[in-house]
Amino acid sequence: MDVVVLAKQVPDAEAAIEIRGEGAKLEIEPKFATSIFDEFALEEALRIRERHGGHVRVITLGAGKATEVLRTGIAMGADEALLLDNAAFLDGDGYSTALALSRAVAKAPWDIILCGKQAIDDDRGEVGPMVAQFLGFPHVGGIVKLDIGDGKAVAESLTEGGREVVEVLLPAVFTVQKGLNEPRVAPITGVMKAMKAQIPKMTPEDLGLSAQEVGLAGSKVRVKRYLPPKKRPPVKMIGGEAAEAAAEAARILAEVERVI
Amino acid sequence: METVLIFVETKGGEVKKASLELLSEGRKLAQTGRFKVEAAVLGPLPAALADKLLPYTETLVHIDDPLLEAYTPEAYAAALAGYAQEAKPKMILAGATQTGRDFLPRVAVLLGCGIVSDVTAVAWEDDPITCVRPIYGGKVLTEVSPLAYPVVVTTRPNTFAIAEPGSAPGSVVESRAGLNVGKMHTKVLRVEQKQKGKVDLTEADIIVSGGRGLKAAENFALVEELAAALGGTVGAARSVVDAGWRPQEDQVGKSGKTVSPKLYIAIGISGAIHHIMGMDTSKLVLAINRDPNAIIFQYANYGIVGDLFEVVPAMTAELKKRTGA
Repeated sequence: MDVVVLAKQVPDAEAAIEIRGEGAKLEIEPKFATSIFDEFALEEALRIRERHGGHVRVITLGAGKATEVLRTGIAMGADEALLLDNAAFLDGDGYSTALALSRAVAKAPWDIILCGKQAIDDDRGEVGPMVAQFLGFPHVGGIVKLDIGDGKAVAESLTEGGREVVEVLLPAVFTVQKGLNEPRVAPITGVMKAMKAQIPKMTPEDLGLSAQEVGLAGSKVRVKRYLPPKKRPPVKMIGGEAAEAAAEAARILAEVERVI
Repeated sequence: METVLIFVETKGGEVKKASLELLSEGRKLAQTGRFKVEAAVLGPLPAALADKLLPYTETLVHIDDPLLEAYTPEAYAAALAGYAQEAKPKMILAGATQTGRDFLPRVAVLLGCGIVSDVTAVAWEDDPITCVRPIYGGKVLTEVSPLAYPVVVTTRPNTFAIAEPGSAPGSVVESRAGLNVGKMHTKVLRVEQKQKGKVDLTEADIIVSGGRGLKAAENFALVEELAAALGGTVGAARSVVDAGWRPQEDQVGKSGKTVSPKLYIAIGISGAIHHIMGMDTSKLVLAINRDPNAIIFQYANYGIVGDLFEVVPAMTAELKKRTGA
């Protein structure tokens, strides 16, 4: 099985984010982590290789710290990594990002693509399904179980109060969520290997794309402004004994806020 | 006149709330005289469902095909995009539900157009339209606009008010999707429904969530009883999901679900950033915690410092008294 993982390095959940230039840009504290859902994708790829043999390739798009996610992948056990590394790739929307990634995947044979159900920075959740459509193959979204068979796979995803089980022909894309597996901690030998690994890079031309088709230039939608979220007014504490506070809370919800 | 196409999502013969919100918004758009609004149902359309929808839309397009009986993202995307290629809408709108977020990105690729996902407000009068969408778990909002039309937009449940049905019912237009069975690679084997009628957290009006403060899995009964009294859905903090007290689908937070209910009640939840990232776009937050310094109070509108084992049952009893249950 040739498995491809699309992964992303994102600002850590704890990183401070400031809006600068009157909403023109963000200043983000330089603390990074692998997007949580992509960790499950990496782990699943390695488990598929362990069970069925094959090859695991990790691909990311980005500059600077983006490479770290590839080194994490190699440290965990991936065979190969690829960085889409060119200023032209940056600041894309879901469409231009998925277009570039789908071309990068198609550079080599593949059976399965795994990625997180969404990246926890942009929270778009568009790239997995879009890559599947660009490549003309099916996808299953938000899976929590995956069994690979001969030329097909059975995947389980969560629905309201239940589960849905689908069978899908391979090649296919799976976007994954928490509950699929427990990601391993990279062994020290893996970390050493990852530190020394040479990461191959590709440009838009390598993917048969012009600079106008990728990143910001290739985007179909654009972020015009960053805004702070609406500030919640300071908390109002409801005092008194438990019974009193409970009655007052019920009264506020029903009569003041009218939400119930 | 330009067309707005609204994808109507149904489950068990009921219209999803996010779809009703968009249909209500669509009626307003139609009233401006600038847009012709079409609603589209994919797959079977029972008469009772059509009757529910027709008061909301002048044109209800019934896109049918044997391959649309059960949801698969491939078939739904091909069918909706196929119709859009004929009808040439300026905007394609859908609720940012699990299903909406799953297949609308494929529609955008098929149409070669942009998509703005999980939007929490839209300025329709702007040209191009301006969509507000939260990023970084709600720490920042972005204003996003399409650079060209058409554009696909998915809107988060609880974004728009639901209007009363209109008095002039519209009509059904039949459309065959004509999907190619050889091109579809997904087959739904089974759908297991453990709890009937459970509303997904991302679509719930009211959520009552519990955390470590509940001390044991069985104490979640208190949360369930309060949720039942409110007609709400039960949520959970990561710690109690990881401890196996609650199933994964109940988890609110960075590695779980992002929710925006009208009312979010946090019980025995300290307020780790991972949790806040999943619920900070809730309209109204009430936190109950015995620690007056719990971080959750910084993200709440109302707070009660007290023993949840006393406060929560008292609140449940009070609410039952109010509703006469």
